[in-house]
Amino acid sequence: MTLTAVRPSPAGISPKAPGTTQAMACAATLTAAGVAGAAALVTADRSAEWGRDPFGWFWLGMLVFTLPAVWWAGRRGTGPLLRVAVLVAYACFTYLPKLLRNPTGPRYHDEFAHWRQSRGILLDGHLFDPNPIVRVIGDFPGLHATVAAVSALTGASVWRAALLVLIAAHVLVVLGVAVLAEEIWRDRRTAAVAAIAYTLNSSFLFFDTQFGYESLAIPLMIWTLVALLRAMADRGAGWILAALVLAAATVVTHHLTALGLIAIMIVFSAAITGRRGAAPAAWTGWALTVAAAGLVTGWLCWVAPKTAGYLDPYLGKALGQIAGLVHDSGSGGRTLFQQSVAPWWEQKAAFAAPVLALAAMIAAAWRLRRRRAADPLRRGFAAAALAIGLCYFPAAVLILTPSGAEGARRSWAFSYLGIALVVAPLVVALLDRAARVAGPALVALVAVMLVGNTAAGMNPSYRFPGPPAYGSDTRSLTPEVVAASNWLRATQGRDLRIVADRYAGLIFGSSGGQFPVTGSVTFPTYELYLAPPGTPVPPALIAQLSSWNFEYLIVDRRMAREVPEIGIYFETNEPIRHNGRPAFTLGQLTKFDHLPWTIKIYDSGDIAIYRFDFEVAS
Amino acid sequence: MTTPRLLGAAGVCLGALAFGELTLGRSGPMGIFLAGALFAIGELWSRALIRPAPPALLRLGLGATAGLIGLPLVALVLHLAGVPIRALSLTAGLAVLTAGLGGVALLRERSGAAVADPRFARTLAAVAIPGVVALVVGGAATFAYVRMPHPPEPGFTSVALGGWAAGIARPVTIPAGGLDVPIRVSSAGRPPAVEPLAVRIGDRPAGPPQPVEVAADSTRAVRVHVPAPPGAGLHRVEISLGAASTVFYARGRGAAPHGRACGAGPC
Repeated sequence: MTLTAVRPSPAGISPKAPGTTQAMACAATLTAAGVAGAAALVTADRSAEWGRDPFGWFWLGMLVFTLPAVWWAGRRGTGPLLRVAVLVAYACFTYLPKLLRNPTGPRYHDEFAHWRQSRGILLDGHLFDPNPIVRVIGDFPGLHATVAAVSALTGASVWRAALLVLIAAHVLVVLGVAVLAEEIWRDRRTAAVAAIAYTLNSSFLFFDTQFGYESLAIPLMIWTLVALLRAMADRGAGWILAALVLAAATVVTHHLTALGLIAIMIVFSAAITGRRGAAPAAWTGWALTVAAAGLVTGWLCWVAPKTAGYLDPYLGKALGQIAGLVHDSGSGGRTLFQQSVAPWWEQKAAFAAPVLALAAMIAAAWRLRRRRAADPLRRGFAAAALAIGLCYFPAAVLILTPSGAEGARRSWAFSYLGIALVVAPLVVALLDRAARVAGPALVALVAVMLVGNTAAGMNPSYRFPGPPAYGSDTRSLTPEVVAASNWLRATQGRDLRIVADRYAGLIFGSSGGQFPVTGSVTFPTYELYLAPPGTPVPPALIAQLSSWNFEYLIVDRRMAREVPEIGIYFETNEPIRHNGRPAFTLGQLTKFDHLPWTIKIYDSGDIAIYRFDFEVAS
Repeated sequence: MTTPRLLGAAGVCLGALAFGELTLGRSGPMGIFLAGALFAIGELWSRALIRPAPPALLRLGLGATAGLIGLPLVALVLHLAGVPIRALSLTAGLAVLTAGLGGVALLRERSGAAVADPRFARTLAAVAIPGVVALVVGGAATFAYVRMPHPPEPGFTSVALGGWAAGIARPVTIPAGGLDVPIRVSSAGRPPAVEPLAVRIGDRPAGPPQPVEVAADSTRAVRVHVPAPPGAGLHRVEISLGAASTVFYARGRGAAPHGRACGAGPC
């Protein structure tokens, strides 16, 4: 890619002058917009904290920066270096909503797990420790090792080290998509538009920016694809080796992204296969795909054999719920935005976004068919991108099922790559043909897609701070729970086996450094809580707890007063009624005060910690 | 920058990291040295693997990605070698990686030195300048947000078994003269208050409640006298302060000394 295009300059005029003026104007506009946007985003989060509506300020802050940035990135006259600078600024700014959401520590469910895993490496000096919150993440140490290494080498806290890594990863996503698009379309403007289009996916602002393994794995995947396309085009050993190294890093970092990478590699290789003059490239593509698939298979079989069992129930249940949707007139489905506090216009935009994406894809497909690239390789790459983009629409059906919704959201980070790559040349063509009409229309389209996809991707409690709420993954961290977990660690040590509900388990399992279990079908620890006062706890459960050296029980008495915000007390399959009223009585939770085999060693009103004395129980 | 100079720069950065770890302790500037080292390692990856040099943005992004994955790669190798992942072992691992990549890059350059690409420096500036501006603007916004007043969080008063009593794991034997049980009283986010401290043995109060001052945002130790229970059987002992309480089980002196609480001097 040539970043300094050689253009004839009018005699007597310095060739740098227009570019410098342009750069100064762009820098001034975007700096001012960035300051204004940041101020609005801060205002939005403060509004949410104090119980006021944050949505208006939030989107004002986002759009006041992103729309001018989109304009600068997409306009024909923007120079190549300036376009790169705009993309970097855009990437940095779009990390700000997540940074402001929880600047000082983990708040999302998975963040607690990853924070613990990274801290464990820092404390113990080795990888692959089991994780009690998300059981498979210990087998994918890419992110944790990176964060722990940055923390160890710089002295930054685990959280700050994570932020540094995640911001770098976020910028690499945007630049990676731009480079990938340029590999296909050979045009920097189209590349910049593709990068912007990719950022409209529902995971970009909040999900793939969290302290989670996918946040690092996605850029690794994108850069692997860059190396793959280069290897297919150039067939140099260096690019092949680079693709393999990057694929290996993706495999070590995240299971789903690794599987997504293999799927995308298959699509790219298949799209080249059989095209005249592209046989060597196809062979290279297939060889790399097989090698990467071997890496994934090897890792999943020998290093992370638990992964299949971890992912399988989600897929199986989702398919079952889709069948339920089809055959039982909606049973097993979920209603989008049910009880959501998102404003009506966000909800409407969320429904409009896939429709607009479909329209854009149809138009892009039509354009691809009419204007075929001369190079069979580029033609194949474009067809592959189209196929990947089309996967977005069937995945959207999964959003209607409780178990599939999570997977659907995650898949959009992959399928949107295809949409971005295919739609970008269409956007550029429209801008070239009728900039006055297409420009404002496309800017409006970007706004609707950004608002709608973000609303569809994350619920408001993930996007904004707010008062503590029982049963919320993001707002269950209260000083009381933190103090209890700190006390247990300070007085009894870490890595203790404890029984807890989902939300106390998050805190005790992360900052508390303990090993909580929150119940399952085979280890139904929730029966401890469910047993009515005066009724014995099942002896088999006590025997199980005793033989597995469980020492402590955490009881959150809010379970008797409040309904969990996300409708789960312990785990998704819990045999507990959910009818809008608390599922526990205070007696069920305070009965441990009178059982001779539970010693209450800590009590702070809502949180009580008991030590088991199984000798008395037996 | 030539490959020997790049190697030198990586060496200086890694040396600074090791020196900082050994003498000054880790601090903020170490982040700059780490970034420099990772940038150099990434560029060495690029030079070792790819000839001719790719376009500037591709080279920069690939280098940054490769530099970043150098960290987990070294951590993984250290883990497999049984070496604890610490600052010094990581620095040593990065130094070995740098030397290896540098060696390969130099070997490949024997067939023809890499041509300096002036676009690379300009592209680096195009990435670095908005990055720094964004860091300043975003950092200032975040700094301001964190320091702005936030709604008060719910307060609480906690009672916990303290000292040796925190280790009570089975019924305690209480001597005839009773037992002083240390408890830890902590308050956060609540105004100062006077709470009744009460001891119950079985269903009966062991005496009248005693007022205890609980200062705001404080933690203090209180010794609570628990009289001997009336018989040798198992008795429930509850020490409560306001609504919070601790509960353990005890036997009188007549009972067999079953499971003395660790460190329980008087019993």
